[in-house]
Amino acid sequence: MTGFLVRRLVRLAVVIIGVSLVTFAILHASGDPVSLIMPEAPEADRAVLRQALGLHDPLLVQFGRFVGRALTGDFGRSFFHRAPAFALVMERMPTTLLLTLLAMGLALLVALPVGIYGAVRRGRAIDQVATGTVFLGQSMPVFWTGIMLILLFSVQWRVLPVSGWESWAAVVLPTLTLGAFTAPLLLRIVRSSMLDVIGLDYVRTARAKGLSESLVICRHALKNAALPLVTVTGLQFGLLLGGAVLTETVFAIPGVGRLIVGAIRQLDFPVVQAGVFMLAMVVVSVNFAVDVLYVYLNPRIRLR
Amino acid sequence: MTHLSRLVAVLALVLVLGPAAGAQPRDTLTIALVSHAPTLDPHMHFERVGVLVNINMFDSLLHRNAKLEYEPSLATSWKALNDTTWELKLRKNVKFHNGDPLTAEDVKFSFERVLEPGKTAKKSPQYGNIRAIKDVRIVDGDTIHLVTDKPFPLLLERLVFFPIVPRKHVEKVGDDAFGTTAPVGTGPWKFVEWKRDQHIRLEAFDGHWRGKAPFKHLVIRAVPEVATQIAELKTGGIDLMRNVSADIMPELKANPQTYITTSPILRVHQVELDMRTAPFDKKLVRQAANYAVDKQAIIQKLMGGLGTQVATVVQPQAFGFDPEVKPYPYDPKRAKELLAQAGYPNGVEVTIHSASLEFRPQFEAILQMLTEVGIKANARMWDPGPAWNKFFQTEGKATHGTYFNWGNYSVFDADAVLHPLFHTEPGSWIGKWYARVEGLDKLIDDARSSVDQPKRKRTYSQIQKLIREEAPAIFLYTQNDTLGVSRRIEYTARGDEWLWLFDAKPRR
Repeated sequence: MTGFLVRRLVRLAVVIIGVSLVTFAILHASGDPVSLIMPEAPEADRAVLRQALGLHDPLLVQFGRFVGRALTGDFGRSFFHRAPAFALVMERMPTTLLLTLLAMGLALLVALPVGIYGAVRRGRAIDQVATGTVFLGQSMPVFWTGIMLILLFSVQWRVLPVSGWESWAAVVLPTLTLGAFTAPLLLRIVRSSMLDVIGLDYVRTARAKGLSESLVICRHALKNAALPLVTVTGLQFGLLLGGAVLTETVFAIPGVGRLIVGAIRQLDFPVVQAGVFMLAMVVVSVNFAVDVLYVYLNPRIRLR
Repeated sequence: MTHLSRLVAVLALVLVLGPAAGAQPRDTLTIALVSHAPTLDPHMHFERVGVLVNINMFDSLLHRNAKLEYEPSLATSWKALNDTTWELKLRKNVKFHNGDPLTAEDVKFSFERVLEPGKTAKKSPQYGNIRAIKDVRIVDGDTIHLVTDKPFPLLLERLVFFPIVPRKHVEKVGDDAFGTTAPVGTGPWKFVEWKRDQHIRLEAFDGHWRGKAPFKHLVIRAVPEVATQIAELKTGGIDLMRNVSADIMPELKANPQTYITTSPILRVHQVELDMRTAPFDKKLVRQAANYAVDKQAIIQKLMGGLGTQVATVVQPQAFGFDPEVKPYPYDPKRAKELLAQAGYPNGVEVTIHSASLEFRPQFEAILQMLTEVGIKANARMWDPGPAWNKFFQTEGKATHGTYFNWGNYSVFDADAVLHPLFHTEPGSWIGKWYARVEGLDKLIDDARSSVDQPKRKRTYSQIQKLIREEAPAIFLYTQNDTLGVSRRIEYTARGDEWLWLFDAKPRR
């Protein structure tokens, strides 16, 4: 088990460094922030600033310096906001994480019961409605869903705030929007993996022992059916963070995604790097947790 | 199914407990901007969304009223002593939000904060605006002299947005805190709270020299998505939004809770042509392009009739505008003839770039009109991000032309559009890449280094005749600034795109 953990942790570090390197390379290839910071300044003034920001050094030197500092949690100061980049990102991280977790929770809350029911009562009305909804849900882009929900709940019925992040009421629509984005896939996974196990011998055995149907489904079938679900939930987490960027924009939520998009437009290197680094950390950590959970759920793969 | 019913119950509870959307207190005015500037420090950014907030918290030496005339603000009078020295008298008994009185020291400090004499790397992006000022002299307690290195006709224009900050306070809290948690000015509203990307909360400053602000609370929300802003406006979540486009005007006019207010502004549109490369290196082709575009049709059909055709790029409101120079008429036949004369009887193919997402319909209409006379124009639409900036602004590679608009940074002077667009020195904006009009640089330089206004006016007339003939751009139209406003309040759009909310009034 220890060997397994160490191997996974090493892989985690490699991924993080890789992500940072790619971000770094793309950013530096995409232009000169100094021309955006000092739009009217003559070239001589710009050269001085470039020097002060360390942008005149060879790329490898800059990357080395970046990694060295990042290890101590120092991502440098934002070129535009007069604040440390890491602090700017961390100020927004809880918002994005809360939104993502709520959306994931909501999606699971819908996907699990409906998916299981669909598998057990295959072909019945609810199953067909659910399958249809899945199809619809997967075809709707996040920003469109968001705006439609605003029009319905906030403009037409006036029961929820249009945008913001100031009250729990304001959290509802973004959560629904992002949840609707991920629920369909989870629902499909639950349904199909339940269908896979439900016909297996050990389920028939369980039933033959005289166990109640709910015990058979929830205790025996679900535990095995959960494996693919855990994998997909982990992977979906990264996608959800991407969807959060759009959700944050539509609902004017002060999250990391909006910060990074703004920073990319301004070529605010330190903020983009700190933001991508932290999001990568989150995704990688979630996947790490999934790996560990996997071992718990499926003892057969423990030694690999 | 118990999970599902529990979820429904939770949602229902939230719906019941959650406050109803919209509905603000009477003494609160809430506006939406697409974003917040990175700092509240009025000297340390160069963004319109920042200026709009700053002007309501800070005063400058001069103010511009709704009729766009200069008005006394922190300076009660001003006069030129000679070509390079201006004398300004400061208003007495003005207090900063923290209670400190305004002194000549604060004025000097504010200028030197941006000018940073003796330093090569200036930290303020506004340095270029006032770099002509060489010295700020305190003559006595309420008199200062501004000395420029050469005659600087734009000085008063620049003083309209040059906020004065309190020296002692800034030195005490430091630049970073001043821009984030402790901004202090003399304006109608004082700082309460800033949550980045969420809201800026201001409160009326009781000691403001103009008197009491019309609303006790002023909230500036950052709402990036236009559709969201519209929904907020209709439901009373905000009272004012900017940049209402032609397609949503009817909706806001028809809604009983909202209205629109509109004003012609300096923002002028054009397709700047790349004179370095064929075919726009030929004057006749550039003229043909000008005849090819039906400007009126675009204004009427795509801009709700809110726009004014212009002969060149100089706006009717700007100093130096010459009404005698007439726009190119729409004449596709003439365009074809000129194209043939220029050696392209069978037409020519070009690529035109644009990063103005909100004016995409106009862009496409213009290209279609060009194509109809034989200038087969391919559209290259860009996302206004770093890639575009590098390609266009840093490397000047966007041949053969670019559709964009220019707002003069609200400076009502021909120089503020001619220099960036057509001067070829490195400090210009696009002229350095595209414009190659013989003798134009010198004329622009002459006009900007004189304070003899009649003489400047003559030079600008000459320039407008020259560029109308040489056609370094397809000259198009100026646009309006259109605001969506809640019927709770009364406010009129201004010609300088400012949101001077001291003029807003609550309605009964």
